[in-house]
Amino acid sequence: MRQIFYLVQKEFRQIFRDFSMVRILFVVPLIQIFILGNAITTDVKNIKIVFQDQDKTPYSREFINRFVHSKYFKITGFEEDYTRLSSYLDSGKASLAIVIPRHFQRDIVLQKKPDIQLLVDGVDGNSAGVSLGYITDIVQQYQERLIEYSPDLSLQVKNIRRVETEPRFWFNPNLESKLYIVPGIIALILLIITLFLTSMGIVREKEIGTLEQLMVTPIRSYQLVIGKIIPFSILGMLEIMISMGFVYLIFGIGVKGSLLLLLFESSIFIISTLGLGIFISTISDTQQQALFVAWFFMIFAILLSGFFIPIANMPPVIQHITRLNPLRYYIVILREIYLKGTTFKDLIPETLAMVTFSTCLFFAAVMRFRKKLG
Amino acid sequence: METDKAVSVSKLSRHFGKFIAVDEISFEVNRGEIFGFLGANGAGKTTAIKMLCGLLKPTSGEATVAGFSINSETAKIKKNIGYMSQKFSLYDDLTVKENIEFYGGIYGLSREKISGKTDQLISELNLDKMKNSLTKSLPLGWKQRLALSTSLLHDPSIIFLDEPTGGVDPISRRNFWRIIYEIAGSGKTVFVTTHYMDEAEYCNRISIMHKGKIIELGTPTGLKQKYNKTTMQDIFIHIVGRN
Amino acid sequence: MKLRRIISIIIKEYTHIFRDWRSLLIIILMPVLMIILYGYAITLDMKNLTFAVIDDAKTPESRELIRGFTENRFFVLKYTDIKRNEIESLFKKRAVQMALVIPEDFSESLISNRITKVQLIVDAADSNIGTFINNYSNRVAQLFNEKLNRRSPGILGLEPRILYNPDMKSANFFVPGLVALILLLICSLLTSITITREKETGTLEQILVSPVHPIEIVVGKVVPYITLGFFNGIIIIVFARLLFKVPINGSLSLIAILSLIYIFVALSFGLMISAVAKTQQIAMLATLMATVLPTIMLSGFIFPIASMPLPLQYISKVVPATYFLIIIRGIMLKGIGLAELWQHAAALSGIGLFMLSIATIRFKTTLE
Repeated sequence: MRQIFYLVQKEFRQIFRDFSMVRILFVVPLIQIFILGNAITTDVKNIKIVFQDQDKTPYSREFINRFVHSKYFKITGFEEDYTRLSSYLDSGKASLAIVIPRHFQRDIVLQKKPDIQLLVDGVDGNSAGVSLGYITDIVQQYQERLIEYSPDLSLQVKNIRRVETEPRFWFNPNLESKLYIVPGIIALILLIITLFLTSMGIVREKEIGTLEQLMVTPIRSYQLVIGKIIPFSILGMLEIMISMGFVYLIFGIGVKGSLLLLLFESSIFIISTLGLGIFISTISDTQQQALFVAWFFMIFAILLSGFFIPIANMPPVIQHITRLNPLRYYIVILREIYLKGTTFKDLIPETLAMVTFSTCLFFAAVMRFRKKLG
Repeated sequence: METDKAVSVSKLSRHFGKFIAVDEISFEVNRGEIFGFLGANGAGKTTAIKMLCGLLKPTSGEATVAGFSINSETAKIKKNIGYMSQKFSLYDDLTVKENIEFYGGIYGLSREKISGKTDQLISELNLDKMKNSLTKSLPLGWKQRLALSTSLLHDPSIIFLDEPTGGVDPISRRNFWRIIYEIAGSGKTVFVTTHYMDEAEYCNRISIMHKGKIIELGTPTGLKQKYNKTTMQDIFIHIVGRN
Repeated sequence: MKLRRIISIIIKEYTHIFRDWRSLLIIILMPVLMIILYGYAITLDMKNLTFAVIDDAKTPESRELIRGFTENRFFVLKYTDIKRNEIESLFKKRAVQMALVIPEDFSESLISNRITKVQLIVDAADSNIGTFINNYSNRVAQLFNEKLNRRSPGILGLEPRILYNPDMKSANFFVPGLVALILLLICSLLTSITITREKETGTLEQILVSPVHPIEIVVGKVVPYITLGFFNGIIIIVFARLLFKVPINGSLSLIAILSLIYIFVALSFGLMISAVAKTQQIAMLATLMATVLPTIMLSGFIFPIASMPLPLQYISKVVPATYFLIIIRGIMLKGIGLAELWQHAAALSGIGLFMLSIATIRFKTTLE
């Protein structure tokens, strides 16, 4: 036990000796939370539109007005020449062209159902789909207003019966993707910091020869591993709290559920990343190799975690592969606790999966560590 | 088990795949002796010393260190030996005092003993002014003396030195050997590898390794007489050239 | 400049590349793996959204509406007749993503009122799912209304035409982006590492004392990576065509020429890093940090720039991939040419020249 104390003490002295470490601990989360939190967004905003109004009547102007007042759209211009519309899309000056046909107003009144033409830049299929949804909404509201207030329309139109859905968005009433993305970033930061620090920290001792020196002392390899795990888990927990602080300061997003539960689940996750880090250190001889291998693991862990791409959207084979990824469970847990305040009872399956991975990874790491050095 | 042999080795081998690094070596080292291991780079010195310290498992053969078997009792061996490798193995980013404290703690010394030893070492090495500065700021010669001192913190009966003077200037080397004599004088066994032939002269007995085998063993004077040479350098070139 | 000397440096560099087969394997496999992963996996379109129903009406009409939800590929019905207070716990168990609440007077209201509202309670933690549930349910409601009125209830129609990517396939969007990412990564990362390595091991000094001109060294070291980068670009485009039938509507040679400009930027970037970095490790970290993160996050590779806050939009203007993405997507999907793209090409060249001059100045001060 006393030996472990000295190992931990040494590790902390080394960590905080160097100011760059403190900088990493604070600057990495700050930059990542700021950039990723703002850049990763599935919201589609500021869609650039060019209009062609062939009708130029109160009805058509009212229609255009709906877009002027929408926060999703930005009108970049009006074009008289129909043949030139596509050049706006080609050059990227607009990603949407809306053509209001001649006799728009007259045809509405006569119930001839005039067609509004849309030219959509489909290169980014997702954004295109979302903007079509926005337009449908606007058209519907516009119709609603006409039916309600326009004296020109016949009674027959006014007698149309309709079912309308009235959505209530729980946990995220304004549908901001930030609320969903940002808790995931905390998981990424934790993964990056703990994985890189452990894998490189141990390899560094190998490189400078102190690891060999330790191996001729009576110390046991499990004590050595614990002596690494304790300081780095404490560091990881510290990092979690720093990140949560930044998340609150920058985005004003706080934890809805139990903070204690969140820290508890985080500690389980940290064990698995530390295990992986130790494992990487046993297969690498230089810090550079460790860095490269850790980077490789990290990229795939992130891609297959459901952080960017919902797991439900992946092909079935890949969906099964994601089950082997502890990050996947941790991200779900973070999001649930952050947004919904979900309690432990409903997170048991994810917790169990993480415990399994952490135990396996940890023991695999210790075994390899012993085999490699013992 | 008390014997008068600090180390006794019989038919010890280590293979790395097809490569035979150490090939059935046998020898004995007496208590209180300075035993030198000579050989060119790649002769198998470091592999042999690593097996004796419990860092590597032998492929075959047996050896006892301080009376304990290297095949089954490595944990007991580690309590009784000190080790200092050719790589400098203190933490550069810890201070002198912190390094001593750390290794003392690892060897399980009590807190009082650690602080006592720390003060003692620091005054012995004249490091009073440097005790709170980072180890990396020390000159290489001092670093090596510090490394040696820390590997003696737990008062081992045998100390293994793997090319301890690599890259050090002649004056520091001489000082270093003065300390080795002091250590041996206090009854400890010193087991040292080197490829500096002049250092071999300082040893009580030396063995010369070549391609994994011990090809000669004896006192420096004895070997000089046997081969009728005046320096170890000449003997070494003669024997290795012959093989 | 002597061609013979350059060629001997090039040959040396190729030997380095092919000797380290592990890195070579990663270089060749990485784009292929990424294409497969991105081409298949990245679509933010939702399917199989789960929902529960609280049907307080229990009339033929309400059942008809529920059928409207279940009879498409978007929704899957999981629970019927749950209680209102169970919704939250279902959401927290992640058992359903939405609950449809049909009021008791649903059928009467359909006759007497112009508009009958049904409530959708959505687990919108993932805002994207929230948006899709909203859009899909609107569609379901519309279809229901058409049946109810035996005509389309709208008084105006929408006639959308999706240009460039009519099926809105995600592969068409991502594959050109991958070309941008991989070219940048390989050209800048490998250049910065290889030159820093020579600096670290002292071989750069060795070469510098020989009669070789520094420019010859740079050219010699950089040409192999240009070919490697180009080769990777070709792999990506070929795979994209074979696996995902991604179209190439514009001119291939224009792609090649503008890619060269982009590669030039990437190489200048690598040079700049190696001029500053002291060790390979720093070079590697700096390049990874400065290329991967901004290229994936801030160039429009996945996330639209227009949706970001203004400061990030400005940053995106100095990210080279931003311009190259517009260029390559423009040529491949839109089939446009230099007339529309010259500004972006000019911006790229400007960034490249800027970085190259910084690299040159730094190299001069460190070596002389």
